[in-house]
Amino acid sequence: MTDSSPILQVRNVTKDFGGVRAVDRCTLDVMPGTITGLIGPNGAGKTTLFNLAAGDLSPTSGQILFDGRVISGLRPHQTFARGLMRTFQIPRELRRMTVLENLMLVPARQSGERLWSTWLTPWKVARQERQIQARAIDVLELVNLAHLANDLAGNLSGGQKKLLELARTLMAQPKMVLLDEPGAGINRTLLRDLSANIVRASVERDVTFFIIEHDMRFVMAMCDPVIVMANGGVIAEGPPTTIQRDPRVLEAYLGGYVNGPA
Amino acid sequence: MDIGGVIDYLVGFAIMAMIYAIFTLGLNVHWGFTGLFNIGIAGFFALGAYTAALLTSPPPDPEQFEDFVFGGNLAHHDVLAWGIDAWFFLGIAAAAAVCGLVALIIGSITLRLNDDYLSIATLGIAESVRLFFLNEKWAANGSKGLYRIPKFLGDLIPAENYDYLYIVVVLIVLLILFVAVQRAARSPWGRVLRAIREDEVTTAASGKNVSHFKLQSFVFGAMIMGVGGALFAHHVRFLSPLTFDPLLATFVIWAMLMVGGSGNNVGAVLGAFVVWGVWAGTQFLPGVFSDPSFRLLMIGVLIVTIMLLRPGGLLGEWRRIVARRPAPAAGRDATGSD
Repeated sequence: MTDSSPILQVRNVTKDFGGVRAVDRCTLDVMPGTITGLIGPNGAGKTTLFNLAAGDLSPTSGQILFDGRVISGLRPHQTFARGLMRTFQIPRELRRMTVLENLMLVPARQSGERLWSTWLTPWKVARQERQIQARAIDVLELVNLAHLANDLAGNLSGGQKKLLELARTLMAQPKMVLLDEPGAGINRTLLRDLSANIVRASVERDVTFFIIEHDMRFVMAMCDPVIVMANGGVIAEGPPTTIQRDPRVLEAYLGGYVNGPA
Repeated sequence: MDIGGVIDYLVGFAIMAMIYAIFTLGLNVHWGFTGLFNIGIAGFFALGAYTAALLTSPPPDPEQFEDFVFGGNLAHHDVLAWGIDAWFFLGIAAAAAVCGLVALIIGSITLRLNDDYLSIATLGIAESVRLFFLNEKWAANGSKGLYRIPKFLGDLIPAENYDYLYIVVVLIVLLILFVAVQRAARSPWGRVLRAIREDEVTTAASGKNVSHFKLQSFVFGAMIMGVGGALFAHHVRFLSPLTFDPLLATFVIWAMLMVGGSGNNVGAVLGAFVVWGVWAGTQFLPGVFSDPSFRLLMIGVLIVTIMLLRPGGLLGEWRRIVARRPAPAAGRDATGSD
């Protein structure tokens, strides 16, 4: 894995919202097969960077490459088709659809998504639906949501919605997943399940993870390397133990009071 | 009481209710499944009706009074003045095609924008279509309108009993459309549409081309409305721009979908019958209560009542419930935990 090239390359990317520069000449690489952490104080530009990579936003300048090809400027369904999937910091579940339907939506190239196929070849659609449903139930069992399969997703608890977000990425079989604060607002037990699922997906399915997270125990246990952003740019990068002791990181988090008034 | 007359009336009532049910199915595709706020149903209604009426109009017949006076439905057309006289079902297909084409053009311009723009565009289309047919006299006789729109197999049955044949035609078309919409709605295609209704961003992040699916939904729903317009034209047999008043061509259809249950195709059909029942039934009330304005008020009261008592409509949205998978291992049953 040492000689492989990065799966995600952010090249000198800048994003302005009016007068606010959310991402400022940001450059970073994510290597394939890793669980890379992305940390930084609030407003550092982490979520904006995810939005840029996934196609929800276009960069003001700079380029983002995925798997060696430029993806900046593509629309979300196009980055998805390349194998890049993202989750949302605040879960965006499909509220008036069942948990199972939330997952069954995800698989690509469903023949029943073509209107005429639903009329002309319903048996093919039905066969594929059974396969997708079986897979969705497997995924739900993996994240311990199987008992809620028929519930409306809008009725889930906050933590369950987080698990549903992760479950959606497991349905998709992507090459890389951008997880935006998967651990926020969920209890320790669920967080352990979540970590286990991420590690399993990373090892068994060869998925690369790029994770924004504020829970340092989670980051330190799961992620290697860890990238630190502040004020729209990368200020440090390395294994978690090094990052933890890096004075620049402490300064970014503590606002310059590390060495404090004497 | 004249039983035959009552049955005649009920058949006429059912024809109109079923034609409205077709519009409500179309609106259900737009709003119930995809969340497209189409407030210009009247535009597709009129386009469908005029297309079918113009295409199926026969050559002018000087024996008929109106044709003697006005020279036929197509009198102002240079080339088509002799009448096209197309087959009934060809007219219906053409009505669907024209509505689909217009929806394709409007949709590809407005569907990428915010939802509000689509609403404004549909409202604008409805009014433009009406004004076009009112002012462009060469197209469809302007305010004089189209008359003697032919009946399907009209020679087969005496005029006073014709409704008994037409109700079968309308019923068959409604059934075909119902099955088509139901199949589509309960398939992965319909699932993508409902996902778009719930959250476009999530749907796009799940790899679906949102604007593509919205366009498909918009065109499909508009085509269904076109079919409804065509059936309406052959039923009332007279069209003028005044026919497509937003009240009876847009508002009432929204009322039907809200009352019956948005997102439920059976509800759409049921709502059409209930609301049309209120509209048609109230005309028998005594005195001032049979005023159109009072009858409309009654529909308003019905909507408010339904929204208060059953916010999802009479039937509410259909939800697929999947049976729990049986426990895989016998040992798990023994624990009694499942």
